[in-house]
Amino acid sequence: MELLSEKELNDLLRRWEAPAAPPTLAAKVLPRRSSWRWVLAGTIRVPVPVGLALLAAMAALLLLRPQPRPAATAPVKPVSLADFQPVRQLEPRIIRRANESN
Amino acid sequence: MTEAEFRSAFEQNKDAVYRFAWRMAGSAEAAEDIAQEAFLTLLRQPMRFDPARGSMRNFLLAIARNLALKRWREEHRFDELEDQAVMPSADLENRETAGAVGAAVALLPHLQREVLILAEYEELSLEEIARAVDAEVGTVKSRLFRARENLRRVLAPLREGRRLTHGTSK
Repeated sequence: MELLSEKELNDLLRRWEAPAAPPTLAAKVLPRRSSWRWVLAGTIRVPVPVGLALLAAMAALLLLRPQPRPAATAPVKPVSLADFQPVRQLEPRIIRRANESN
Repeated sequence: MTEAEFRSAFEQNKDAVYRFAWRMAGSAEAAEDIAQEAFLTLLRQPMRFDPARGSMRNFLLAIARNLALKRWREEHRFDELEDQAVMPSADLENRETAGAVGAAVALLPHLQREVLILAEYEELSLEEIARAVDAEVGTVKSRLFRARENLRRVLAPLREGRRLTHGTSK
């Protein structure tokens, strides 16, 4: 029988198609990502314009927020020791009730 | 290699590695095993990949090739790797064209089959195949020539408008 030409062989070879990798392969090969791990070590990609807008918004919030007014309090009167007088009577006198013996 | 780099290498090359393994092993189960082991080898020993020696795809195909060869040797201890005669199979008669081509490629000696698949389906150059199969370029060229000659003979009954017949191709 006459052999196939190179072109005929190429045409035939092209008709043998192989399937793509099944999804189960990824499950077997790729390390699993737990949600806790993502929370602790995950990253989020933020586009630069979005990031700049967020930063600008945060800065504006910090700068424009209303400053809290100090609460109205009574002025504190300074304490002076001028009114204190030394004790004049240093000998205490003991007063007893009449019906108390000794 | 970071996890992100590994994921990227997997996503970019999983289909090529699986396709090659599927064509070499002839079954989805074996192909998945080979592809899985190839990627796990990269994960365990990333330093084996040298970008100066070729692409990540070619590196992974070379690993898959070694795994397929090891598996083939375990299953065909007494078969020749290269010089066995290729006889048309009567089984080709009842297959559709794509299946018949796959069956004909499976009839090729292992070393001819791997260079044919790497050249025709994965479109590697002779130099890239030589690196992947650890052989001289001249050897690869010779294996590819013999593989194509065998297929031209075995698949001749599939010529347009004709059906396979028993034992007519030798």
